[in-house]
Amino acid sequence: MAKIIKERIPTPERSVDERVKSFAEVNLGYTFELAQKEAARCIQCPYDFAPCIKGCPVHINIPAFISKIKEGDIKEALRIIWNDNTLPAITGRVCPQEDQCEGACVVGKVGTAVNIGKLERFVADYAREQGIDKELLEEELKKIEPKDGKIAIVGSGPAGLTAAGELAKMGYKVTIFEALHLPGGVLIYGIPEFRLPKEILKVELEKLKKLGVEVKTDYLVGRTVTLEELCEEYDAVFIGTGAGTPKLLNLPGILLDRIYSANEFLTRVNLMKAYQFPEYDTPIGVGKKTIVIGAGNTAMDAARSALRLGSDVTIAYRRGKEDMTARIEEIHHAEEEGVKFEFFLNPVEFIGNENHKVKAVKFEKMKPLEEKDKRGKRKIVGTGEYVTLEADTVIIAIGLEPNKIITESKGLKVNPNGTLVVDETLMTSIPGVFAGGDAIRGEATVILAMGDGKRAAESIHRYIESKKGA
Amino acid sequence: MQIEITPSVKNLGQKNLGGVVMYRITDKKDLSPIDYFIEVEAPHVAKAWKPGQFVIFITHEKGERIPMSVYKAEDGKIGMFIRKLGKTTLELYHEFDVGDTLWSITGPLGKAIEVKDYGNVVFASDAVCGHAENHATLKAMKEAGNYTISIQSFEDKENVYPEKFLAKSVADEYYLTTQDGSMGIKGDFLDVIKGLIENDKVDIIFAGGNLGTLAQLAELTRPYGIPTITTIRQIMVDGTGMCGSCRILYDGKIRFACRDGPMFDAHKVDWEDVIRRGKRFLELEKRARERYLQRLNEKHGKEVF
Ligand SMILES: Cc1cc2nc3c(=O)[nH]c(=O)nc-3n(C[C@H](O)[C@H](O)[C@H](O)COP(=O)(O)OP(=O)(O)OC[C@H]3O[C@@H](n4cnc5c(N)ncnc54)[C@H](O)[C@@H]3O)c2cc1C
Ligand SMILES: Cc1cc2nc3c(=O)[nH]c(=O)nc-3n(C[C@H](O)[C@H](O)[C@H](O)COP(=O)(O)OP(=O)(O)OC[C@H]3O[C@@H](n4cnc5c(N)ncnc54)[C@H](O)[C@@H]3O)c2cc1C
Ligand code: FES
Repeated sequence: MAKIIKERIPTPERSVDERVKSFAEVNLGYTFELAQKEAARCIQCPYDFAPCIKGCPVHINIPAFISKIKEGDIKEALRIIWNDNTLPAITGRVCPQEDQCEGACVVGKVGTAVNIGKLERFVADYAREQGIDKELLEEELKKIEPKDGKIAIVGSGPAGLTAAGELAKMGYKVTIFEALHLPGGVLIYGIPEFRLPKEILKVELEKLKKLGVEVKTDYLVGRTVTLEELCEEYDAVFIGTGAGTPKLLNLPGILLDRIYSANEFLTRVNLMKAYQFPEYDTPIGVGKKTIVIGAGNTAMDAARSALRLGSDVTIAYRRGKEDMTARIEEIHHAEEEGVKFEFFLNPVEFIGNENHKVKAVKFEKMKPLEEKDKRGKRKIVGTGEYVTLEADTVIIAIGLEPNKIITESKGLKVNPNGTLVVDETLMTSIPGVFAGGDAIRGEATVILAMGDGKRAAESIHRYIESKKGA
Repeated sequence: MQIEITPSVKNLGQKNLGGVVMYRITDKKDLSPIDYFIEVEAPHVAKAWKPGQFVIFITHEKGERIPMSVYKAEDGKIGMFIRKLGKTTLELYHEFDVGDTLWSITGPLGKAIEVKDYGNVVFASDAVCGHAENHATLKAMKEAGNYTISIQSFEDKENVYPEKFLAKSVADEYYLTTQDGSMGIKGDFLDVIKGLIENDKVDIIFAGGNLGTLAQLAELTRPYGIPTITTIRQIMVDGTGMCGSCRILYDGKIRFACRDGPMFDAHKVDWEDVIRRGKRFLELEKRARERYLQRLNEKHGKEVF
């Protein structure tokens, strides 16, 4: 067996100096040559064994696509990925690979894992730049046999987009209903440009259009049209409305100015482009010192956006460093860019000045216990000691709950945490209505949402077939 | 870089992947020196809209999401009353004409008010959004068999809307007041309401307009225990419950005005914060407004506004 190359081939990145002043993408991705070098590190575990495939929520045949990179056949590499994942340019950028494929990689046991995420991204980016993805799409278009059946998709995040794409490829007539004025869900309103350029999403949306998918933006299902009405007009419905409701801390001072939920902050900045105010009309007020509460991806995105708007930023987290839930790459980038971290601090009060603008946050110091909670994190308790940190901007990123408006629809069963009840085929309590993504999981990941979209598409197909048979 | 907007070609961009959506402006008229009426094609919204609900529009690709009450929703069109206040509302007035299109309209948003037979229903308004809601709400209430009483307050005679845009036609009893007494009764709607309460003529009050007057109304009716439902305008972004920009304290709990409102029981609202939070972006808004007015005046070679 060839010798294992222990160290990863690094991916080029923009310099920190340049980064902190711009929303341009940080990681520049592999070139063809670098990708081939990194691909050569893969030891090609056999399909039945490969831990990376098992670690991938949608089970992409990873060794196979990497071997095609080695051969220089990017079209075949893309075809292999597309079998399980139609949005590799996106997942290559945002998946928590360290907990999935890369976390399981055999090479990682003796050195650093093969950079599967960046290789996936390379295949997608290279294919897009060279027009290879269009060729492949044309081939797929030729295979489509139109079927009877109209399907409504509610929400255009990764779950909805994937379900739409899969169903369109099966030959169904698909219409997406999206509440916002642009499709993409968290991919467009949440994840910033410096991590996921909007241009990439646009290309994916154009592919869906080629597949004949219709997208109706400006439609809030539950208000503009009810779920009942959709059920009458369509043969099946898929709900992918995500978890977009911010949890807010009902603490004294929560209504002070310059306290944002991460969603408000990120929506203003990303979707509405407030970082280009006043050329764009939507304003955002960021002061000199920002505290971000929380330590997930949302918190990192908010922190790094505030930093780019010129603020000094501190992340305050009630647990410890090793408990942070964000992707490792984001934490690393945040540290590099100068975001500071404070651990074991739990907010108890927001303090305002005479103009009702926030000026400080009071925290209780916490300490960890040996005992672990359900998610395997150390439990924490208050110490009764308090500290006050100055801040003229506060961003709350302590979590999100499922969007409510659709869940109030007649006949739809909802779990106590607000997620929709589904069976193993992802069908909700209403026959013919399926659901997936954050709407059934609560805050989860892009790849799980996509996996659900694909599974639901298959279930919808079976459901429609069975109705025809009956 | 400046945004150049050339009327009539500006919004032909293909936003919706299914095809070009056209939210065409079909009518635009002055209501007063500061308010105007605008009517826009938006069949998906018009079909579903009910009194109490609002819409959010975006004028162009670089625009803000702007919440607006609805005056009427008929024949696939939405009619709105708009005050020339800041960048967007001025730009819409000065640069968009009948035949031009808006970039986006979403709705209806928020909860509809319960239209049923209450008995005597009052709607009082003293500003642009309130006047739109006054007409829309009482029209539905009258059709539901209520005795409708409308009160509309304006600054002075010059600011009173043309008759056909007043809520007179849907009111069984109608009062018009002006602050300076130049037309109708002198004063604001609070005085009229006091009189109505004394005459035992009120079963429920709806109101919309200046948040300050609405807060006073809440205090006025509280001792009588008269149900008082008012519009709570807060700065919004999505309008779908996704950001919390519009959060208020209601009965001690956090509520989102866009999703849980915008009509709330005035007696449970924390008015001080509601009034204050409307001014969150004042400095930036001023900047955008001045920047826009400078451009507008330069374009016309004179002071337009
Ligand atoms: C800031 C941020 C950063 C993140 N970073 C990562 C990351 O790096 N990696 C990762 O894997 N995951 C990340 N996540 C999580 C990930 O984005 C979500 O798990 C994923 O987007 C869920 O997809 P979805 O399709 O279920 O829903 P969403 O992406 O939430 O999309 C739901 C869509 O439905 C629309 N909608 C809601 N209600 C209605 C209605 N009634 N009618 C019509 N439309 C409606 C919404 O407007 C939205 O567009 C992040 C999340 C956030 C907020
Ligand atoms: C439910 C609701 C119904 C409304 N109905 C009407 C109506 O019928 N007629 C009308 O003229 N106005 C109405 N408004 C207010 C309208 O949205 C603002 O006047 C408009 O956003 C001002 O934009 P601008 O760019 O012209 O001014 P700006 O200079 O941006 O703002 C001027 C003031 O308007 C308010 N405002 C600004 N942005 C927003 C926003 N995104 N959401 C809410 N308020 C904002 C703030 O108090 C601000 O100080 C309503 C608001 C809400 C929330
Ligand atoms: S406007 Fe965003 S939650 Fe109400």
